[in-house]
Amino acid sequence: MNENVMIICRCEEVTYHELVSTATKYKCSARELKLRTRAGMGYCGGRTCRTMVEKIAQSMGTNTPTETNISLKVQPPIRPVSFENLGRISK
Amino acid sequence: MKHINHRDVVVIGGGIIGAAIAYYGSKSGLEITVFEKNELGSGTSSKCDGDILAVDKDPGFNSQMALKSQKLVHELHTELDTPFEYRNYGSILVCENDMELEAAQKWVKQQQNAGLDFRMLDREDLRNESKYFADDLLGGLECQTDSMVNPYLFTYSLFEGAKRYGAHIHTHTEVVNLYKNQAKQFVIETNQGTFTANKVVNACGVWAPFIGKMLDIDIPIKPRKGQIIVASRQKPVGVRNVMEFGYLISKFGGERKVDPLIEKYGVALVMEPTESQNFLIGSSRQFNGYETKVDNEVMKCIAHRAVRFYPKIADMTVIRAYAGLRPWTADHLPIISQVEAIPGFYIAAGHEGDGISLAAITGKLIEEMINETNTSVPIEPLSLNRFHASLEHSFD
Ligand SMILES: Cc1cc2nc3c(=O)[nH]c(=O)nc-3n(C[C@H](O)[C@H](O)[C@H](O)COP(=O)(O)OP(=O)(O)OC[C@H]3O[C@@H](n4cnc5c(N)ncnc54)[C@H](O)[C@@H]3O)c2cc1C
Repeated sequence: MNENVMIICRCEEVTYHELVSTATKYKCSARELKLRTRAGMGYCGGRTCRTMVEKIAQSMGTNTPTETNISLKVQPPIRPVSFENLGRISK
Repeated sequence: MKHINHRDVVVIGGGIIGAAIAYYGSKSGLEITVFEKNELGSGTSSKCDGDILAVDKDPGFNSQMALKSQKLVHELHTELDTPFEYRNYGSILVCENDMELEAAQKWVKQQQNAGLDFRMLDREDLRNESKYFADDLLGGLECQTDSMVNPYLFTYSLFEGAKRYGAHIHTHTEVVNLYKNQAKQFVIETNQGTFTANKVVNACGVWAPFIGKMLDIDIPIKPRKGQIIVASRQKPVGVRNVMEFGYLISKFGGERKVDPLIEKYGVALVMEPTESQNFLIGSSRQFNGYETKVDNEVMKCIAHRAVRFYPKIADMTVIRAYAGLRPWTADHLPIISQVEAIPGFYIAAGHEGDGISLAAITGKLIEEMINETNTSVPIEPLSLNRFHASLEHSFD
């Protein structure tokens, strides 16, 4: 398979090519790469592609590892949840 | 004598406010250098909504300033190279009881009298707006000039524009000390070395008071935490920004008829469809220091409020949540000001929940103040002095 059309983030349909060209153009961190391409921002919360996105940013030499780069962290909710179940307030 | 680390204008803070100052400043020919301690847009400007609103501004100075900013954003959308998901569809407020409907009518009258593009909406209008709305909603109002952007793309886009005009952007550069030397230059100590500058702009949002302290200036800004949940795209719930009328009351600290928990966390519905067609549902208002942890109970209240207004989204999915810190001031206006005691020192911070809306006008005003030209709007209401006025009077 052509790696240019290979999809890295399935939820947001972001290709390898799009990630590499964005990382090259903006010389950005993994966080900025994610925000610019939406890779890892879809339904699964980046569970599938997070490491790949970080690797791509690193291989471009743009992801200077500092403590501020931990922002690809997972935020609650841990799993997708419906409004109904989340919004139940016990009185 | 000019050495390599001397700069004309230094902007501290790489959020949306620093971005707009860097853009308008460098565009006007100023030599601008930005110091950001983390990454660009890593503070509040990526942990918020992207609504560019006049609908919630007090008629008069506030709404006129918001309107000016909206016009600038409209220009920026063609002026800047990188698109930032600009959509100018207007926005609406919905009312859930008679008391709110009455207040809404007054609000629309006042805004219309001030020359803004407002109108009332009835039940029929709401039904046409979204079939997901609760049937019992009485009506609402609409502001035609409101728009939406992606706040961090807007920040990036402004910085790219600034770079094209020659601005120098230093990320991972934290200002740790700031003072004036005998030559009346600012000395700026950072973790990447020491710089000197003729002028310094403090655009540090909720962190602005710490920069102020370095110069013995009291900057009355406090972090007001806000949380948002992200719903995944399933069906288009609406195309424009929707807020409950209670948002206005919550923002300005009035009394609402809601559950105690909703009141405690200051939860009021804001529904913002994003260009990716997810939607953002907010938000809360809490004074809780500088922590930005997502709080489960607050998340529940926001979801609860969403289902109250959109019962038919109950089975849709929440995929993510985040929290940011609004730079709050006591009168809900930003501080866009020179500091009389320290010539060459400017503050552009304290935009609370309006920093995205007011970034453009803020950048323009600081540029005008530095270039000593006429300002686009009067700047007295934005001065730092307004907080110390009572003190000054006692010296009269
Ligand atoms: C939940 C929520 C929803 C919101 N929704 C909206 C909305 O719809 N519309 C709207 O207009 N506004 C909204 N806002 C408000 C808006 O997000 C803020 O007003 C705005 O982002 C503030 O921008 P800023 O540039 O002042 O601050 P920030 O973006 O926080 O930027 C300040 C920067 O200064 C840097 N810094 C701090 N200290 C130092 C130092 N010593 N040296 C170097 N750098 C330093 C920080 O790292 C940071 O990047 C919302 C806010 C929240 C929390």
